[in-house]
Amino acid sequence: MSFRCHVAGVVSAVAIGLSATGAQADILFWSTQAKPVEEAQAMREQVLSGFSGGVDYQPNDGGPWLTRLKAELESGTGTIGVLGALHGDFAALDPDDLIDLDDLGVKAASETFNTLARLGTDHMQYVPWMQASYIMAANRKALEYLPEGADINALTYDQLIEWAANVHEATGEPKFGFPAGPKGLKHRFFQGYLYPSFTNGVVRTFASDDAVVAWEKMRELWSHTNPASTNFSFMQEQLLSGDAWIVFDHTSRLAQAFNERPDEFVAFPAPAGPKGRGFMPVLAGLAIPRTAPDVEASKELVRYMMRPETQIATLRATNFFPVVDVDLPDDLPPAVKAAGDAIARMSAAPDANPGLLPAGLGDKGGDFNRVFVDTFERIVLAGQDIRAVLDEQKQRLAQIMQETGAPCWAPDAPSEGACPVE
Amino acid sequence: MTVTPSTDTRRAGRILYGAGVVLLCAWVLGPIYLLVVNTLSSPETVNTFPKPLIPEFDTGSLRFFLEFAGMLSALKNSVLVAGLTMILSILIGAPAGYALSRFDFRGKQAFRMLILLTRAFPLPLLALPLAVMFIRTGLDDTILGLALVHTTLAVPFSVLITYSLFSGIPLELEEAAWTLGCTRVSAFVRVVLPLILPGITASAIFAFVISWNEVFAAAVLTIENRTLTAFLLQNLDTSPLHLKFAGGFILVVPALIFIFAVRKYLFAMWGIANR
Repeated sequence: MSFRCHVAGVVSAVAIGLSATGAQADILFWSTQAKPVEEAQAMREQVLSGFSGGVDYQPNDGGPWLTRLKAELESGTGTIGVLGALHGDFAALDPDDLIDLDDLGVKAASETFNTLARLGTDHMQYVPWMQASYIMAANRKALEYLPEGADINALTYDQLIEWAANVHEATGEPKFGFPAGPKGLKHRFFQGYLYPSFTNGVVRTFASDDAVVAWEKMRELWSHTNPASTNFSFMQEQLLSGDAWIVFDHTSRLAQAFNERPDEFVAFPAPAGPKGRGFMPVLAGLAIPRTAPDVEASKELVRYMMRPETQIATLRATNFFPVVDVDLPDDLPPAVKAAGDAIARMSAAPDANPGLLPAGLGDKGGDFNRVFVDTFERIVLAGQDIRAVLDEQKQRLAQIMQETGAPCWAPDAPSEGACPVE
Repeated sequence: MTVTPSTDTRRAGRILYGAGVVLLCAWVLGPIYLLVVNTLSSPETVNTFPKPLIPEFDTGSLRFFLEFAGMLSALKNSVLVAGLTMILSILIGAPAGYALSRFDFRGKQAFRMLILLTRAFPLPLLALPLAVMFIRTGLDDTILGLALVHTTLAVPFSVLITYSLFSGIPLELEEAAWTLGCTRVSAFVRVVLPLILPGITASAIFAFVISWNEVFAAAVLTIENRTLTAFLLQNLDTSPLHLKFAGGFILVVPALIFIFAVRKYLFAMWGIANR
């Protein structure tokens, strides 16, 4: 074919494409969740196909998600019908840009979640949609190295470190895996697990003596951690490849391992420290932007998403658990069963110390996470003096709290006004 | 038998040359080979090491994408946007390159700098005002709108490439054509254009690939008419490994096919093609 023919072909193809116009009637579901291709596919085919109107489900990275939304809000005309995102994503928005959803008649079973969904206003800004948490998982090969007398469902941080050390010694390789990669959720481990377990707080106790102990333990654990962890973001991959035998991660980032080889892995609760077994939920919500083209249709879709049967379909598709009361069926995928059991044990543990998601930080949520990530990198990766690093980072944390005026959240003791860094 | 130093050096040179060729080929083919093997492997094999030399031809991962809703229309959109970007960037870039190389005008240096400046600002910074403007003007969610953005990104390359190409063609050739009865335009079409066609192809490939690989603007500026990268790439980084490979394969292959289709014009630039 000659060059001219090529050009002619491209030109005519372009002309056809430009003249084609799509009929737009579907509700655009603009989401940051259920992003992996398999989950997106399941959302479309198994969850949203039952909705009477058409839905165009589009999962996005946080950047494009927010940019597109802001552009529509600014120009005053929108195509986005329903927003699906994490609590933290909504917290960074102006509540005035979201339609109040009090009259919708649906809400979560947990009043804590419903309060979070008001985003500090008097009205529901989003509807809690689904929840998850972070748990531990291990290769069964690691079980024989469990320290004597340790119960895998009631581990302490000391036992976890000893276990990781035993595996390290036996295999000659550090086999603990930690999602410290660029897309890993390491900051949640510090905010929701390490700090609550050792200091019974996150903000108030950031630079306390207990925190120094916590970071010392973290350093110890790191010495038995696969050093490539700074590249790990989804621990299911390292579980499957065998690069890590004992890991911590988000339930949906472990799901593939359990679904592919359910007999090889076990899920278990996060370990406990001197101040209890700290753990933290993940909460996603649904909201409607004020620029939605058809608010009534959007509300109908939100109602549909909150039905018990839709919530169960969502659980199968995304490994996120329902927020309304449902009877779970028996034939759930292995990952859901394993994660569900681990979370149930974690919440029911006598020493459970559940934390809440950071609230009231607005668009400073990213800066707040940065403080914890920087602290980790300086103390654990760069080996700097713990006390000195904490005293320095404390200034930044205090500044963020002052600027946002965010009050303390559990497990920190309640505060009048901005949560103080003590 | 004594070996003279000169044949020794020559042989060493040949070995070095051969080794260089092998290394360069491996540099390019190695990753593509791994991509193909992993794409055609079952999920279990993808997670094992070492990889089998010959894939087991498990098409499960690829079939998943075939059934993935909206894949084909996204592929079509990507080809259209990339094609339009290619045409626009050449239509705009080549005359600019010709002007820069043949004429002296006030502000020529500043103009050259300005062209490069379009690459100085990251897209995430520009995307918000751009999207607001597109929504207001109705360019939002159209193939033409996205192609215009991609053209802006591709034009600096096409200007610079064509500028150096035009500069490499002696003005005397054109002047000779003028003396033989050609006008400025027909001299350009009959003499200069055939000589720079390979270069135009190279800058066309650049434009095509730039558009093909661009994610952020595509993700923000298209909704119904998503391109393949906007549609797939941002979902792939969180997907299981075997789907990452298959998705990567799907993203790479059309671009490879395109480059293959136009390789003749590209090679001509390096004097390899038979004329």
